[in-house]
Amino acid sequence: MRLLPVLLLAALAACMRGATPDQQAGLPAVRHDEHVSAGGAAPKAVRWQNPYQRDKRAADEGAKIFTAMNCDGCHGGAGAGWVGPSLADGRWRFGGADGELFQSIYYGRPHGMPAYGGLLLAPDAVWKLVTYIQSLEPPADVPTEAWQ
Amino acid sequence: MTGRGAGALALLLGALGPVAARAQEAGEDGQWTMPARDYAATRYSPLAQINVANAGRLRPVWTFSTGVLGGHEGQPLVVGHTLYVVTPYPNVLYAFDLTQPDYPLKWKYRPDVDPNAVGIACCDAINRGAFYAEGKIVYNLLDGRTVAIDTATGKELWKTKIADLAQGETTPVAPFIVKRRVIVGASGGEFGIHGWVKGLDLRTGRLAWTAYNMGPDSEMLAWPGTWRSFYEKRSDLGVTTWPKDAWAHGGGPVWGWMSYDPRLDLVYYGVGNPGPYNPEQRAGDNKWTASVLARRPDNGALVWAYQFTPHDNWDYDANAEMILADLPVGGEERNVLVHFDKNGFAYTLDRATGEVLVAEPFVHVSWARRVDRSSGRPVVDSTKLTGASRGNVKDICPSLEGGKTPAAPAAYSARTGLFYVPTNNLCMDYQAVTATRIAGTPFIGANTPYHAGPGGHLGAFIAWDAARGRRVWEIEEPYPVWSGVLATAGNVVFYGTLDGWFKAADATSGRLLWKFKVGSGVVGNPIAYTGPDGKQYVAVYAGIGGDWFLLAGDVRSDDPADVRAPADFIRDIARHTSQGGMVWLFAL
Repeated sequence: MRLLPVLLLAALAACMRGATPDQQAGLPAVRHDEHVSAGGAAPKAVRWQNPYQRDKRAADEGAKIFTAMNCDGCHGGAGAGWVGPSLADGRWRFGGADGELFQSIYYGRPHGMPAYGGLLLAPDAVWKLVTYIQSLEPPADVPTEAWQ
Repeated sequence: MTGRGAGALALLLGALGPVAARAQEAGEDGQWTMPARDYAATRYSPLAQINVANAGRLRPVWTFSTGVLGGHEGQPLVVGHTLYVVTPYPNVLYAFDLTQPDYPLKWKYRPDVDPNAVGIACCDAINRGAFYAEGKIVYNLLDGRTVAIDTATGKELWKTKIADLAQGETTPVAPFIVKRRVIVGASGGEFGIHGWVKGLDLRTGRLAWTAYNMGPDSEMLAWPGTWRSFYEKRSDLGVTTWPKDAWAHGGGPVWGWMSYDPRLDLVYYGVGNPGPYNPEQRAGDNKWTASVLARRPDNGALVWAYQFTPHDNWDYDANAEMILADLPVGGEERNVLVHFDKNGFAYTLDRATGEVLVAEPFVHVSWARRVDRSSGRPVVDSTKLTGASRGNVKDICPSLEGGKTPAAPAAYSARTGLFYVPTNNLCMDYQAVTATRIAGTPFIGANTPYHAGPGGHLGAFIAWDAARGRRVWEIEEPYPVWSGVLATAGNVVFYGTLDGWFKAADATSGRLLWKFKVGSGVVGNPIAYTGPDGKQYVAVYAGIGGDWFLLAGDVRSDDPADVRAPADFIRDIARHTSQGGMVWLFAL
């Protein structure tokens, strides 16, 4: 029973590949199958690359945007986690690759992550945020917490 | 009153069969039909089977896993011989049949709650419980809707949208029902909402009135002839004490507990913090945030208001309960309202006028020296004022968790004349920054790391004499005390701790009588009731959460993609507890 919707989705995704009905309908260029998770597989990232990869200045600007856009209000100072999940533990609910992080910010995610793309932030500012988030170094040992 | 519907239910049960027929009548004393048990918000049970001599023999008799891991704030209700439990998001309502062995469910109600509410709730997806009236259980879903459920069938009678998630409003607060008026409010002090209370019709759920906590008198329902403040005579204070239009997104949420004086026909509730946290973006007193408001339940009319913390610089919400009592103050019997504010002062007010009779610190306070009786205003230490231009202001006590959290209500025993109060011993540094208002996102603008107050322990459970404004006894706790309190005629008081202990103490001396480890930290409020067997029971939730979901994120294990380090000020709490969601019943 559970397989059925997965198969349908896969079939749907196959139909859409190559064709561009989205664009014909005036929808964004990002394809549906690229941000729908099917069969337990992580959503396929847009194969965009972060233009600011490891750029220190872009990361600093991203840190300012992180505060100005109230990201810290949910994800905590330095992204350490608050009502929203930690962004500094090297673990990702929706993937940590360039395109996946971009999509999380640009389009939003379930359970309260707002879509910041478009009116609030231009793609360039989103890439700077991605650069900042990727600059947050997770601690050496995330899984283990030990006491004396 | 709530007795009539409950009596009818008991009669119905009595007609159903031999088991129910054998069941003894719970009676008015044996029920718990509203969050604080009575309109005076005392959380005092007249039951006395469990007493100082036998409390040491308490044992658990039944448990139930709610299947939910969020902070289990609030309390169960017992109406007739049915136990009602509301879970945190997704806000399932369970009805347990106490007349049957093993207490099976009569029904459960699983609402369709918008998951986006989880990301808009400031401090975990908690719920503070339900209210029973006229055959209905009424409570709020997190996503801004109030529902009424038929106790006989578990079916939804009405559902009303009261709040707007898109504006940052969520609704974990328990409703309060007076004279067929369901009074509700919304959280969102960290999201720049325009705070309000609304009155709904109990029979239909239809909106009867909306009263804002700030703004023009017309929107506050502060009408000439009805409205009179003891200390403030000017009009439109909800506008003139703010920069232009700042009141329209200035916070002022309603997420605490209400009370009602039938003789004065006044409902009392506290209003939360002004937003943003950076006070330089909102010059003025910011009325009526961080205040107590007294309104008429029928039409919402504002009768009086008093502001505990004018121009709040420290996130000192005033959402804590207003407990109504009659106390001898200065040799005279007074009808008072007692309030333990986040700002660290315990206030005893005349509940007809809002005049301050007593205001003394109940925890260590550094932001103000005292409260001036003639003006009703705190005498502030100017070195503790905050703002984006002031940098990092150090060592402000109490922290913004409050001298007491409003989430965890105190109790009052007329038998001892004392108030029983869960407290925090936390101070903070406060670095304000300029915040931008983006609808539906946090509007905060401050970093506020905490540290322990004097003594190094993080909390205490205290007994307070509100007539004199002094502490009578205390039990020091290693962690902040974040559970509500139950006082009983057996002279036993009950409370829980963040490290997962449920405790009983002698109400007169503070001597510990009994404790039991309930598995997860307690942030809920204990209640007492009489079972069908005529015995006294005590019920409480276990399930750490609320602010501790944010502050001590290492007590969570529910998300492999969200792993957090311990908080500096409470490094070892996760050594002693973890998330959970359990209902516990105890008896002799």
